[in-house]
Amino acid sequence: MNETIQRFDCFVENKPGVLARVIGLISGRGYNIQALNVGPTEDGTVSRMRIDVLGNEKVLNQVILQLRNQVNVIEVTGRKRRSAR
Amino acid sequence: MKTIRERTGAVALVEALEKAGTEVLFGYPGGAVIDIFDSLKDAKFRFVLGRHEQGCAHMADGYARSSGKVGVCLVTSGPGATNVVTGLGTAYLDGVPMVMITGQVPLAQIGTDAFQEADMSGISRAVTKHSFLVQSADEIPETVAQAFYIATHGKPGPVVIDIPKNCQQALTKAQYPERVNLRAYHPEYTARPQQIARFAKLLNEAKRPVIYAGGGAIAAFASGDLTALARKAQIPVATTLMGLGAFDQRDPLSLGMAGMHGAPCANYAIDEADLIVAMGVRFSDRVTGKISKYAKKAKIVHIDCNPAEVDKNVTVHLGIVADVRDVIANVNSRVKANEHPEWLARIAQWKQDYPISYQPLHPGVIMPQQAIEAINKVSDGEAIVVTDVGQQQMWAAQYVTHRHPRRFLTSGGMGTMGFGIPAAIGAALARPDLKTIAICGDGGAQMTFEEVVVAVLEKLPITIVVINNGCLGMVRQWQELFYKKNYSHTILKEKGLPYLPDFVKLAKAHGAAAYRVIDPAKLESTMKKAINAKRTTLVEVIVDPDANVYPMIPGGKSVKEMIFK
Repeated sequence: MNETIQRFDCFVENKPGVLARVIGLISGRGYNIQALNVGPTEDGTVSRMRIDVLGNEKVLNQVILQLRNQVNVIEVTGRKRRSAR
Repeated sequence: MKTIRERTGAVALVEALEKAGTEVLFGYPGGAVIDIFDSLKDAKFRFVLGRHEQGCAHMADGYARSSGKVGVCLVTSGPGATNVVTGLGTAYLDGVPMVMITGQVPLAQIGTDAFQEADMSGISRAVTKHSFLVQSADEIPETVAQAFYIATHGKPGPVVIDIPKNCQQALTKAQYPERVNLRAYHPEYTARPQQIARFAKLLNEAKRPVIYAGGGAIAAFASGDLTALARKAQIPVATTLMGLGAFDQRDPLSLGMAGMHGAPCANYAIDEADLIVAMGVRFSDRVTGKISKYAKKAKIVHIDCNPAEVDKNVTVHLGIVADVRDVIANVNSRVKANEHPEWLARIAQWKQDYPISYQPLHPGVIMPQQAIEAINKVSDGEAIVVTDVGQQQMWAAQYVTHRHPRRFLTSGGMGTMGFGIPAAIGAALARPDLKTIAICGDGGAQMTFEEVVVAVLEKLPITIVVINNGCLGMVRQWQELFYKKNYSHTILKEKGLPYLPDFVKLAKAHGAAAYRVIDPAKLESTMKKAINAKRTTLVEVIVDPDANVYPMIPGGKSVKEMIFK
């Protein structure tokens, strides 16, 4: 399957260790994160992460489901950005 | 109003564990948990002292698998914590609920490479559902409640609570919460009525249906409903390795285990089926073989509590994310009684033509399968059978009559050698009403043999059967079949020397009774004596080293490429 850039938007609880858990799930599969942006939302207890990853779309969809299973992840959405190369 | 008593975090932890329903705590002391051990003197639960932290973790795991309750374990920081990582991974891959409490250096020393410091919340991330690093004594009661909730809701799994030493010592008034409130974790899903209706329709229309049940069916306590559905609609039932016991193998509808070393009739039935009802399975590579050739004629209904499982390995026609037991109970009332006589006749023919069987290779030498048959005859399908990993695990899966859920405990996902002996200790503590038998190879038995002392001191009448073929049999089998018989470092018995260690002497040194069987004629009588003994007993069975596990579908191959011998 073609590799595409997939963008995840994650809303997570603003707690220590959450970023590491989210990133670990992606990097543990050998994917290289192309871009990462983390910041607060209007609700100070919630952070937003925007992550761009280059990878197989089916596997990345699987990652979304596994991210949703995480205890501190409130919501994840993903969308394809563009085909790579 | 009742005045709230102030006590240390360590005491609050013990109270919280009691409130969470802990009956047995497995563990091993160390510097970073002295305070918790100090407060165990008033605990209402039993404490079992292991001899290695990995053993403690597998004991908690065996306790959880056999009882359906949470296994709880307490170890120290640093090496104590890293030693349980294998135990956590084993529980994680098989979906076993566990709460692992690890000590940690004081908060102020974290990150300074202090003595016995390890970043446990980091190390455990990939092998747990969740890990907590406690920041203050006030967090302890609520964290314990949340950990038990996470371990048991959704797909069960292990949770780590890492507690810095200063938090154990600090005073707190925090109370155990009435209910758990996790903002982002709500893993309860229910089936939509349309899904149930579609499921019932598929069941009613199927000509060649197969139920395919995994560990998730046992975890959801769905065996009873599964059996009712199978009998009402006359649907044959195959299980995974983890699903053994979900359906009584004495029932004529039982196909046995599917997969790499599964029963031919189970694999053929899945290959020919027009409907596969998969419940609580992952469609692991050990079961599907070559995925592009798997169950091509079938529509697949996949029921699982974990949304990430559906459509992961195979694409399904109907995926239902919900509690397996709820779905089956619900669909039972809408399914018509059915018979499928042609399909069942075809299956009966496969059973007759392709039974799982073996032939003795050398006269007067015990075949390993014979040893399992002897165990099965004495225990009559009623005992808890715990395996290690490798050939004996597969022979135990094939030659034990699995009749009840939670009585076949095996490390299916992780394939952890050394699981057998400690997991059997945990199981025997959870179910003193049943006999517990650990079946190990000579390789795996050496990995956690130190725990035999625990069985002896806790007065557990478990039977440890060491199937000794003098080699790491499963790897040796692959070397024979796929690596041109280059037996690179898999032969444990040196030519011309007696086998080392001497398992009988070793067991006796640990305080257990022990027998060695070489003569096939004495196999059953020795097994009977050992299994019926009222104390920890080891039986070493010297078996034919050339025996292989068959049938076999080589990795990545399809059912058409099954090898019979």
